[in-house]
Amino acid sequence: MAAIDTDGLTRRFGEFVAVEDLSMTVEEGEVFGFLGPNGAGKSTTINVLLGFLDPSEGSATILGHDVTTDSRAIRERIGLLPEGYDVYENLTGREHVVSAIETKDADDDPDAIIDRVGLDPEDARRPAGDYSKGMQQRLALGVALVDDPDLLILDEPSSGLDPSGIKRLRRIVETEVERGATVFFSSHVLDEVEKVCDRVGIMQDGELVTVDTVDRLRTELDVESVVEAQVDRVPDRLTLDDVEGVTDVAVDGTTVRVRCARPRAKMRALRRLDDAATVADVTIEDASLEALFEEYTASGERGDGDGAAAAPDEPTQAPVADGGGDRR
Amino acid sequence: MSAYTVLRDDFRNARRSSVVLGVIGVFTVLTALVFVSEIDIYDHAYRTLFDVTMLVGLVFPLFVAPLTYLSIAGDRSGGAMKYVLGLPNSRFEYFVGKFVSRAGVAVAAILVAVFVGFVVAAATFTNGADPVRFLAFAAVSVLYALAMVSVFVAISASTASRSRAMFGVFGSYFVLVPFMFGFLPVLSLGTLVDAVSSLLGVTVSGETRELITMLSPATAYLQSTELVFRGVFDQYEAFGMFSPGSDNLARQAWFTVLVMVAWTVGAFGAGYAKFRASELG
Repeated sequence: MAAIDTDGLTRRFGEFVAVEDLSMTVEEGEVFGFLGPNGAGKSTTINVLLGFLDPSEGSATILGHDVTTDSRAIRERIGLLPEGYDVYENLTGREHVVSAIETKDADDDPDAIIDRVGLDPEDARRPAGDYSKGMQQRLALGVALVDDPDLLILDEPSSGLDPSGIKRLRRIVETEVERGATVFFSSHVLDEVEKVCDRVGIMQDGELVTVDTVDRLRTELDVESVVEAQVDRVPDRLTLDDVEGVTDVAVDGTTVRVRCARPRAKMRALRRLDDAATVADVTIEDASLEALFEEYTASGERGDGDGAAAAPDEPTQAPVADGGGDRR
Repeated sequence: MSAYTVLRDDFRNARRSSVVLGVIGVFTVLTALVFVSEIDIYDHAYRTLFDVTMLVGLVFPLFVAPLTYLSIAGDRSGGAMKYVLGLPNSRFEYFVGKFVSRAGVAVAAILVAVFVGFVVAAATFTNGADPVRFLAFAAVSVLYALAMVSVFVAISASTASRSRAMFGVFGSYFVLVPFMFGFLPVLSLGTLVDAVSSLLGVTVSGETRELITMLSPATAYLQSTELVFRGVFDQYEAFGMFSPGSDNLARQAWFTVLVMVAWTVGAFGAGYAKFRASELG
């Protein structure tokens, strides 16, 4: 039995089609990355799966239960970290976890869960309304873990988490999968999805444009990152072109820009550069999801009319790599 | 079991904010003030209870409004609903939990206020205070509180927008209380009925007109307090608004009680039906 199975799932809001003809299967025991830029239809899909929204067309089952008629049975077996989630501001974090345990009729130890998600025991006894985004996110993850769910649905789980929180999240996902759970991991951050997921489905403009393993996607799509290094002076005989994975090198004054098709090439190129000159500063622009989509639409969908989501003339923005926004 | 968890969490959340304290505390103080200010005016505490019925009928809903208008709309617009309904709670359990929690606070406010009023009256009024009359007063006031909470929670359940919930709740207050009761003669249901009937060239009997205005929980409440003043209608001029022995349907105590119960049950049912069918994305 599939953990999640959708068949022609469509959801419209008036004229606007948020999710169109979505058919996908998430197998039990896998970590499935549900990837797409903001507004691609990921959260709408999740809201339909949870019974918060009705599908306009098509159907979906979770763990064999129909999402429109059997929502409660589903919610008994899943753990949910929703997007746009809020807490009861005057209840403590611990009280949220305790209520989740009660509601699920589970016998978990709330303090063990709080410890597992890395919420400070003292913070857990403070009103959750005072929590930072990261702490709320840890709390939500704790609530999702109650009663060892068969399926974890995580919608932008790393949003607001610091690097140690993200690392912890990754470990928890691994542990849950070892236990036998399925993880449905929705995110707009390519980097984090590729670290934990077996397979990835990419949503764009409400459509599932591809489902594949992360490695295959990377290789097929040839997504590039750019390493930009400030050096004291550019050595005369700088050769980086032969480093495996480097596709292009450009020098502008004392700035060297190296385009890398593979993640590993970045460090290799940098080492080579450091050997030849003194590197004063480095910035790395990772391949953004947008770049990946542009690649995808350019290589796969060109000519079929509406594959024009990519705007080739615009410079690629890299919200995924600038350390800002959701990733902090 | 999970309706209880929803109820407890909601109540706890409200209790730790200033809302509960505000509603119960301020309303109790106002009620006590009415009694204190009339110590030297009337000998009978039940005459002051009559003035308190006005306070409850016209002002108490304005305390219930801030207590209830975000009960469900706030969870929905803020996202706390995703926490509750992401867990295996049914929408019915959620709705019941919210209703009972908010109704509990409103009822507690009535009971505490009446109790404090009783203590003040028993200690200071010339003829003391009759516990039976106070109990009867508490009983009909609780019915009224439940009707208003039910209407307001139902409105809160039917929108995801905080501002719409607020306009809805205050709008329904205006229609059900001052308008239907006829607090402002220029803007009242009675005047409207007269205008429409003369426009259509039909005659609406006084009895029918009374029955129509009695369909408001506020009017029904004020009329139902007749139960509190049984046997003393001749003691004060103000009690002339009651007409004991009338066979007019609108004047029957059981009918007024039925109106309040009908509002409670009807609004609850309609609010839940709307909420069950609504989309929460």
